Amino acid sequence: MIEVRALWKVFGPGDHNRGIATAETGASRADILSSTGQTIGVRDVSFHVGEGESFVVMGLSGSGKSTLIRCMSGLQAISRGDVTIDGTSLVGISEDRLRELRRSKFAMVFQHFGLFPHRKVIDNAAYGLEVQGVSKERRRSKAGEILSLVGLDGWADHYPDQLSGGMQQRVGLARALALDPEILFFDEPFSALDPLIRHDMQNELLRLQSEQRRTIVFITHDFDEALRLGDRIAVMKDGVFEQVGTPEAVVAHPATPYVTAFTRDVSVAKVIRVHTVMASMPADTSSSGRHVLSTDTLESIVPLFLADPSAVAVRDAAGATVGQISGSQVAAALTGRSA
Amino acid sequence: MTAVAGERRLWVTTRLRVAPQDVIFLVACAVAVLVAWRFGVGEPINRLQRWVRNNQQTHPLFTYGFTPVSRSLRWAVGHLEDFLNWLPWPLIPALSAALLFVRKRRLSAVIVGAIATLPHFLDLTKPAMETLALMIVSVGVSLLVGVPLGIVSASSARVDSLLRPVLDAMQTVPSTVYLIPASLFFGIGPVPAAVATVIFALPPAVRLTTLGIRSVPEQTVEAGRMFGASKRQLMRQVQLPLALPSIATGINQTIMMALGIIVVAALVGAAGLGQEVLGTLRLRSPGRGMLVGVAIVALATVLDRVSASFITDRRRRARSLRSTALWSAALALVAFAIWALGKTMLGDTKLVDWVDDAILWIRDHGRWITRPTNDFIIREILIRARDFLTDTVPAPVLVLVAALLGFAAKGWRLALGIICGLTIVGLVGMWATSIETLVQVITATVVSALIALPTGVYIGRRPRLESVVSPVMDALQTIPSLIYTIPFVMIFSVSVVPGGIIASSLYAIPAGIRLAALGIRQVPESPIEAATSFGASPRQVLWGVRLPLALPTIMLALNQIIMMVLSMVVIAGMTGSGALGYRAVEALTRSNTGLGAEVGIAIVVMAMVLDRLTQSLAQERRPAHA
Repeated sequence: MIEVRALWKVFGPGDHNRGIATAETGASRADILSSTGQTIGVRDVSFHVGEGESFVVMGLSGSGKSTLIRCMSGLQAISRGDVTIDGTSLVGISEDRLRELRRSKFAMVFQHFGLFPHRKVIDNAAYGLEVQGVSKERRRSKAGEILSLVGLDGWADHYPDQLSGGMQQRVGLARALALDPEILFFDEPFSALDPLIRHDMQNELLRLQSEQRRTIVFITHDFDEALRLGDRIAVMKDGVFEQVGTPEAVVAHPATPYVTAFTRDVSVAKVIRVHTVMASMPADTSSSGRHVLSTDTLESIVPLFLADPSAVAVRDAAGATVGQISGSQVAAALTGRSA
Repeated sequence: MTAVAGERRLWVTTRLRVAPQDVIFLVACAVAVLVAWRFGVGEPINRLQRWVRNNQQTHPLFTYGFTPVSRSLRWAVGHLEDFLNWLPWPLIPALSAALLFVRKRRLSAVIVGAIATLPHFLDLTKPAMETLALMIVSVGVSLLVGVPLGIVSASSARVDSLLRPVLDAMQTVPSTVYLIPASLFFGIGPVPAAVATVIFALPPAVRLTTLGIRSVPEQTVEAGRMFGASKRQLMRQVQLPLALPSIATGINQTIMMALGIIVVAALVGAAGLGQEVLGTLRLRSPGRGMLVGVAIVALATVLDRVSASFITDRRRRARSLRSTALWSAALALVAFAIWALGKTMLGDTKLVDWVDDAILWIRDHGRWITRPTNDFIIREILIRARDFLTDTVPAPVLVLVAALLGFAAKGWRLALGIICGLTIVGLVGMWATSIETLVQVITATVVSALIALPTGVYIGRRPRLESVVSPVMDALQTIPSLIYTIPFVMIFSVSVVPGGIIASSLYAIPAGIRLAALGIRQVPESPIEAATSFGASPRQVLWGVRLPLALPTIMLALNQIIMMVLSMVVIAGMTGSGALGYRAVEALTRSNTGLGAEVGIAIVVMAMVLDRLTQSLAQERRPAHA
């Protein structure tokens, strides 16, 4: 779906190969800046995002995460390496072809919403369709549907500045969804919102994903957000990926001290799922009728063991029993981590 | 990102490590000095003027170039004049009020509608309509040229970098200077006035269009691009609509700037209120001047309010019918009051006579103070300073001092520019005259700064006081300065003092006050609170925090004062200040373009040098990069 291969992004004057060459010798950022006047935004990053997968890049400011998504969406030229979307390379792509790709394949939700203040909510949501030349009637009816999908019924004729931040970002989301894109790029979409509204919006996104799975690349500086939303997450620092993996893998086995620092405050119970802890051999628990899903988090099954800590069956999404899990296993997993 | 610029360089530029534009600048300086030295300026231009006169009917440059432009402008202005004069007079007040009403400015609608009736009661409808016609045509052309230019300049960094210095220069040059080339190619009458107005009013139209488009948040533009908008779609759907308030501000400023030069435009024969002002100067009637001033302020207010009403209005709510009726009634009432007032006071000559008599009384009874003041300023300050600068200090030393100042302020480029500019002034024979003007300008600047800067600092923290003083300052800035020069001419007699010092200061002071006040007001609250919490007294806060933080803007105020005093040079020349101003008036009224060009060069050089030198004071001083 999306393939990023050995991607470099260099900022600054002159030939970017010089900056890359200097960086490849192992020079530090300060050295590269003083010898070439260039800074390295993204440093030799490769990864793959599968169809319907939600890939979250987490990093602090200056880590290169925004640069990465801007390169992936064609907002910024690539210095070296390649990004292909459904087999189409963004390197050397013509303006026309890129525009075509944007109209047909992907859409983006921006950090500060990027709404058009002079257009009504409905016309904001319909913008992508308008650009494609869809008739006013059709694009408005489509935009209207999407607005009610994101919970903005009755706000169509307002202007963005009459809406709260959370609602504005719903408009931003609606604008992206109206195109029915295969790929959605999110550039720190919720970081300008209050914690409670941020949580709402995350739920909204999870709900939308459960209804119709799209390929998502999501940028955030919030580790918890990354854990909640990502099928896989990447922790980025100084232009490189420190670690890539499922939320559980990252939390259970942080690869570097930098990642460990983030995982330290994470509530393990919210991240670790049943299938990581369960015993693989199916036992005679089927009779009790109690069961949990292999994808449940430990937090969600703890109440089950309050009355009876004995083992329960673990089933997969199809309903087949795939293992068992007991209260003591859960307790061990939770305390073992935090000890 | 600008990888290309580094590679395409001439060998000279790589050897000497200077940028290509520096080389162009050096060559241009050298050529300018050489031309001025070898050929002079006045004589070749007079020859050009003779050639223009002889070939106007036959040469293709005129038959296909200037003449059609001239004809269509004259046609447009003429017909518009006729049309406006043909309209029944209440229509324009009614239209302005209606326009404001629709834009939800009800109070404004009433006041502006009433004000718009003033020219009629003052018996100045015809000249007012003539001025309006000229304004509409020249502002229209300015926008027709300026807005597209602004759009191009916003989307192309190269065009922008080419245009920027030109616009900078255009805004530094006093408006009168534009009349010189305009009258060379377009003769006398409304056309050169329109052309000069177009050129003069162009910069704000271009600038604010560019600014408006550029200040559309990058995010918003990117969102548009991200959804696959083409460049044209982006411009039409996103950038232009969002730039509209800024463009409207540009239109408003363009109108105000165009209004600012109607008196000077009258010098080359444009009809209208400007001519009336010149007439009152000839009549020596401050009372009459006051009436014309009121008419001009009325016209300016109407144009300003109506055009400003388009600036910040995106949505309208439904109007209730009842309130519409109420406001219409109020409008009718105010209009009636003005009408009654106009009939009894202004329309009659009574008031004019009162004012004239009052000024004469002041002249006769104030002689014991005005005479010595006049003599003191002229003998002890102006003449002494002039003699010191022309006789005692040799010209090369002065040039060198100026160049050193320039070097200290902005580096070798400004220093070189100053040397070349001043040398050219000397070569065209304007050195002594320029020094005389310089002395006047500096004196008026000192007077204005001493009044304006402390006042501004005081007012800046008292918003209520500022709102009281504001209308007075507005009036001083809109009434053509020649009008308030007239009473001083009568009181002080014809000399440099009324125009060159007093009126120039009056003209410059409001801008000085405004900027100084702005500087004080803009100081962020947090350092002030910090200082207060450490126990600083109000005086310590003012001197230790407010003033230092406001200093860049206060210096900008000084810069503005100098530039405004300079722009008064020609007006002052009409009331006896002599020096460059007088020569400029002489050149314009006798259509001696050669002389005009020489004076123009001297004024432009002086403006550029003073502007760049004082501007550097206004730039914030930050610690140099490590």
